Amino acid sequence: MDPLFELIDVAYSYGRHPALRDVSLTVRCGAIGLVGQNGAGKSTLIHLLLGLIRPTAGSLKVFASERRGWPTGFRQRVGFMPERESLLPGLKGIEYVALAGQLCGMPRRDALRRAHETLSYLELEEARYRAVEQYSVGMRQRLKLAAALVHDPDLLLLDEPTSGLDPDGRAAMLDVLAVLAARPGKSLVLSTHLLGDVERICEEAIVLDAGRVVGVGPIREMRTVSAGTYRVRWRGDGNRLADRLLALGAEVRDSERSGEAQVVVPEGWQHRDFFKAAREGQVVLTGLKREEEDLEAVYQRLIGAGTISRGDNHD
Amino acid sequence: MIEKPDTDGRRYRGWSSRLRPAWFSIWPIAWTGLNLVLRRKLFWLLLGITLINFLFLFATIYLKAQIRVENPAVMRFVDSVLESVSGTGETYRDFMAAQGTVTMLMLAFAGEVLVGNDYRCGGLTFYLSRRIGRRHYLLGKLLSIGLLVQLTTALPALVLYLEYGLLTDSAVYFRENTRILLGILGYGLVMAVPLSLVLFALAAWLQRTVPLVMGWACLFVLMPAIGAILRKVYDDRHWHLLSFWRDIRLLGSWCFGAIPDRDEPLIIGAVTVVAAVCAVAVLAAIPQVQAVKVVR
Repeated sequence: MDPLFELIDVAYSYGRHPALRDVSLTVRCGAIGLVGQNGAGKSTLIHLLLGLIRPTAGSLKVFASERRGWPTGFRQRVGFMPERESLLPGLKGIEYVALAGQLCGMPRRDALRRAHETLSYLELEEARYRAVEQYSVGMRQRLKLAAALVHDPDLLLLDEPTSGLDPDGRAAMLDVLAVLAARPGKSLVLSTHLLGDVERICEEAIVLDAGRVVGVGPIREMRTVSAGTYRVRWRGDGNRLADRLLALGAEVRDSERSGEAQVVVPEGWQHRDFFKAAREGQVVLTGLKREEEDLEAVYQRLIGAGTISRGDNHD
Repeated sequence: MIEKPDTDGRRYRGWSSRLRPAWFSIWPIAWTGLNLVLRRKLFWLLLGITLINFLFLFATIYLKAQIRVENPAVMRFVDSVLESVSGTGETYRDFMAAQGTVTMLMLAFAGEVLVGNDYRCGGLTFYLSRRIGRRHYLLGKLLSIGLLVQLTTALPALVLYLEYGLLTDSAVYFRENTRILLGILGYGLVMAVPLSLVLFALAAWLQRTVPLVMGWACLFVLMPAIGAILRKVYDDRHWHLLSFWRDIRLLGSWCFGAIPDRDEPLIIGAVTVVAAVCAVAVLAAIPQVQAVKVVR
């Protein structure tokens, strides 16, 4: 199966300020999260994939075709939802979405029919004849998504789609994205700094920090790669258990609940070492569970270490 | 196969069909721009003003035709009173020039709606992230401005030309005055192309109506005023070339084959000035439609 996109040593600079440096990636179809802090290079990467800007170095392939010169034809398979406002004041919602369809090459009648369908799907059917500048923030986000979806693209590039939404709006947007991500043959790249959004929608993630890729691969694999953290529950004197674990080289992190702690173990640690510590500390272990990192923890670890982890399907 | 609903009974439907080439996108861009302008009341007011001039001429042509048939005795008197409505090239040239003055005012206010908002409200991102290139966007916008110009100048002039021909010796009039038809189309183009380019460039840089009107006034009011002063000081008619509007009118007169004798030596200068302004406008517009503008 051809990769969705492939970047080889791609760099991009805004004047003297480098936004992306030596980015090499091969990503297959699916739902991909693009995470990083503000200024990490997420939007720049999206704009490169969309062909709005050219890399200052390296090469870039989308849908297995390298873009020489600056063709825009491949965008008929791409839908883009920008982070910033991209409205045309004075147009009605339906006209806005239909125009987006026409700009993607759809005949006017098809674009209009499809615009009605898309707006209905995104629950904007009652507002479709209202001027776009009268839309609320949540409606504008959905309108931008409708404009990105109108031509039924194979790849959706979403730049901060939940930005500015209230919790209900965010949940609704994520519901829609989850459904779209699950459709066969459809891929989406979700750029956000909200790790919860990525965790909910995407199977894979690209972690960016200061213009560099510090992690890429399936989120599941990223979590287990260095899962040397355990949740330990006991009955008895916790201080003695902690002393014994420390003596064996483990790190004990306090828990809010008594009789429970998070323990980070050194390399080479074996489960029986827990029981050894418990026996020596004269406490009874009531629970021992390998703790999986959430994406937040993975992200913090990767940002801190600056290392790259690769899932097998990216090699 | 019936697809299962995604959420709340709604379901996403795919779509598949043959897509048109990107060049087909120029018309929707132009039509949308024209629509946006015509939704403003101010433009209907200005269109109304241009319509008054048109209706006056329309009625005059009709009146003269009626009098010629019903009371030929007073025709000489009517001709002397309504000398300007004679069905010659000058009639249409003067009509289009008068219409053009209101059109110019209309364009000054339309710049923000047609182009400026694309920069202020992210419309450029909307356009350039689709399957079109910047040349399609630029051509679409220029076409919408050009259509607005033609709507108020060349189109009513064509209607008057047809009316005049139909109410007089139709076949003879149309046969002998094909130059007028070419003149109307030519003058229309001479107005539409430079005005579109200049308006696009100014609106792309200035974006809001107030600075845009000021910039427009500099070009069409201040420069002619400076030209008039310099013409008096140096007693050289070439200083009139500083009036861009006058240069366009001179080219329009050339299209009708009706250049006043005293302006004959200025025609080359007028062509040069109009071409130079167009070139500057293109050079100013190009960096503003770079896709990189979208990401800044």
